[in-house]
Amino acid sequence: MSYYFAIIGTQDNPLFEYEFGTAKQGGDGVARFPEQARHMNQFIVHSSLDIVEEVQWGSGQMYLKCIDRFYNNYVSCFMTGGNVKFLLLHAPSQPAASTTARASTSIAANPTSPQTEEAIKQFFTETYENWVKTIMSPFYQVNQEVRSPVFRSRVAAAGKKYL
Amino acid sequence: MSPSGISTPSRIAGSVFGDTPNEGAMLEPNDQPQDARNLISQAYVPHIAVHTSSDTKELVKDKGFDGGLWELLRPFGERVQGKVTVRDSIGAGKTWDDFAVRFVELGDGLERSEQARKSSEIKSPTMPESAGFTLGQRARTGGDVTQVEALVERHLTYSEEFPSMHTEDYLTYTGTPSDPESASPFYTLYLRRLLSAIPLSPHETFSHPVACIIAISSRNANPIEALRNLYDESSHGEKRLPLWVNNEYLRYYVLVHDEERDDITKSMTLFDQMKRHFGLHCHLLRLRSSQCVATDDDSVQLPRCQWMSATEELADIQARESLEDIEDSFPCVYESDTTAIKTFIREMVTQSVIPSMERCVSTWNDQVASRRRGISGRFMSLSKKWTGFGGSSRSSSPAVGSGSSSGSYSNYDAVQGFYRPDAAEAVMRKLADYAFMLRDFKLAQSTYELLRTDFNNDKAWKYHAAANEMAAISTLLIPKAMSSKTRTETVDQMLETASYSYITRCGAPYGALRSLALGMELLRLRDGSATADAARWGVRLLEYKVVGPIGDALIKERVARCYASKKGAGSGLWGARTRKSTLWSILAAEAWLSLGKYQQARLRLNEADNKSSLLAHRDALETFSEANVFLQALRREVQDPYRDADSDERDTDVDEIETTVEEESETFNGRSHRRSLMGPAIPPLSSIETAPLQTTLMDEAPKSATADQFE
Repeated sequence: MSYYFAIIGTQDNPLFEYEFGTAKQGGDGVARFPEQARHMNQFIVHSSLDIVEEVQWGSGQMYLKCIDRFYNNYVSCFMTGGNVKFLLLHAPSQPAASTTARASTSIAANPTSPQTEEAIKQFFTETYENWVKTIMSPFYQVNQEVRSPVFRSRVAAAGKKYL
Repeated sequence: MSPSGISTPSRIAGSVFGDTPNEGAMLEPNDQPQDARNLISQAYVPHIAVHTSSDTKELVKDKGFDGGLWELLRPFGERVQGKVTVRDSIGAGKTWDDFAVRFVELGDGLERSEQARKSSEIKSPTMPESAGFTLGQRARTGGDVTQVEALVERHLTYSEEFPSMHTEDYLTYTGTPSDPESASPFYTLYLRRLLSAIPLSPHETFSHPVACIIAISSRNANPIEALRNLYDESSHGEKRLPLWVNNEYLRYYVLVHDEERDDITKSMTLFDQMKRHFGLHCHLLRLRSSQCVATDDDSVQLPRCQWMSATEELADIQARESLEDIEDSFPCVYESDTTAIKTFIREMVTQSVIPSMERCVSTWNDQVASRRRGISGRFMSLSKKWTGFGGSSRSSSPAVGSGSSSGSYSNYDAVQGFYRPDAAEAVMRKLADYAFMLRDFKLAQSTYELLRTDFNNDKAWKYHAAANEMAAISTLLIPKAMSSKTRTETVDQMLETASYSYITRCGAPYGALRSLALGMELLRLRDGSATADAARWGVRLLEYKVVGPIGDALIKERVARCYASKKGAGSGLWGARTRKSTLWSILAAEAWLSLGKYQQARLRLNEADNKSSLLAHRDALETFSEANVFLQALRREVQDPYRDADSDERDTDVDEIETTVEEESETFNGRSHRRSLMGPAIPPLSSIETAPLQTTLMDEAPKSATADQFE
């Protein structure tokens, strides 16, 4: 499973982007998106904002679960208090290869299962905590890109921990 | 059911903006000719087979139609003159002014390739393999996706070569410009050819003849005898259609009178004799037998046939291109002939074909379908399933051979893969199809609904898929409000089952493509969340990979259109799908570009730009680094062929001119102006330098590439 995590600001502009792979079940934590279609992640995430804007009014939750799908890419969303959106695009690596019983119950093979939802929720919550701490910096302004290496490493750690 | 059946979360359908006031509202009347509903009602029309004597063939050949009488009649059948009233199952009359019938030669549309491949599948002992089915008839069989793609490709290439010509004029032959909201002409063409000449097959009866014209001409020496022979040929002779076609269709007897050679009084007496022998279903058609040329006084061009199969149209184009004179190649007929033919068709359709169809519908409805609808019908189908007790009413149809062994008491012949035409299921399918062709969608829908379960129990998968397909389509055609919940429960379920059955169980991508494309079109017409649903089916179609490269690009384009037709609420257009639509437009542009169709790519890219300018944050996509790079590259490539052409031209220009500066600057000015018409203005490569420097810049490709990036 490969993940692409993006934080989208209030003007639909990306504030933070991070790609990583699964660290569970012997994964090496490296994203395996096809090289010639790297731009697609950004396109997909941008187009999913349509759905986010619709779903966000439906429930009182901040975690909106899996909201969109583009071929084999699933998009989960988390709304922060300041209308900044966390979007996580997750693409199961090989849908055909997940025939073994072990793999079929793992997070990687079931992008819409409750376990996956829960794991992503934990990832989002932890990232949200770090995010709030980061943007509390007195030098940060709204919709400014976040370049903090500390934040990046914390997102990476959360990804490794839960996904 | 299918592994890919994980849909987008359904709660989107019930979200705040999805439930706009007109959610699932009544369908508006279809007044646009491009409307999918019109397309469908024109595509699924009664088929009338034409079977003529050899002397009639000669007569029509003298007029310049090699194919025979059907070729002469066909264009006129596409619009029956005047209004046509059809009574539905309740007895209420409804008037249509665009009723159509399709004329085919008897035996057209048989799926020959399938027969050759699987000789065990459809092989009737009554039909010899080599008898009378010509190559031309195979060309007139539709349902071949690759041929449809080839045809659209050809039209596309043409429009690339002559970009100034209006493609709409070229394709629809009408000359009315279509509004930007409607489909691209190529997509309409694609759909139309997909639905043209539906193959004759056991699992759907649309192309089974509803009636058969048996025609002789006044040149015949032994007319009554000839008519009898023709009838015998069509019902149990060598022209007999396969076993699974119901043979009890209407026969309509026509006497073609040759106005120029034969005596009308003789024909009249013969016609009276015919009436005595064959009853009321007779007509005297008076035609002139000499060939009409365009220069004749009362000549009119034969209207072009809009519903020919892709293969046939391709052959037609090729034949026309090999000819020198374009004008010459369109056949003409005398005006008196067209009037005679139109009157004949109108009389036949309104007085014979439709009444007989109505009669069939009401008989079958009373005798077979309504028995199934009641409580006892349910019980019967149950008992049939478990004990075979209720099978007594179907004892009239003993199963052929050993085929019945699989399903204990079903009428389905699993070995040969069809129901006999007198089985209850086959009759009901025919009833539903008749009702559909007469546009009584309610009756059709309820009957398809019954059939769905029957076919499922019998494991007749192709029948099952087709019944699901038509059930979904007829449900969507009923102009009734539908909530998003019922929609997901019925229509989505049916489309899902249909496409899954077609692809996985039957390996029939054509059926899947047809059902999903039509489902997508009809869902799009319903506002609200149905449009998102439509787009989802379009994406599913792409995932199934049932279309070729051309279809792929066309469907991407269509998905973009589906998303775009979802209207947002309020000033912020909340709930619209503009960003999604933009994405799909870009994807379509990319697909066109990879096919080398720069014009289409440019159109799609402009569309994407227009859409993103609607957004509150229109430049948002540019803040994504990689997406932006890709988009810029796409924009550049779309312009590229013209740049190359220009640079070549410029090289030659420079060689030719190379003298005065004034002349040179003149040409350059003209060219930069031309380029600015094509897209965003690009500054001229450099100010007019000396000629040698220009050529070196052009010769070295990498240098020019770097120059591009700095622009």
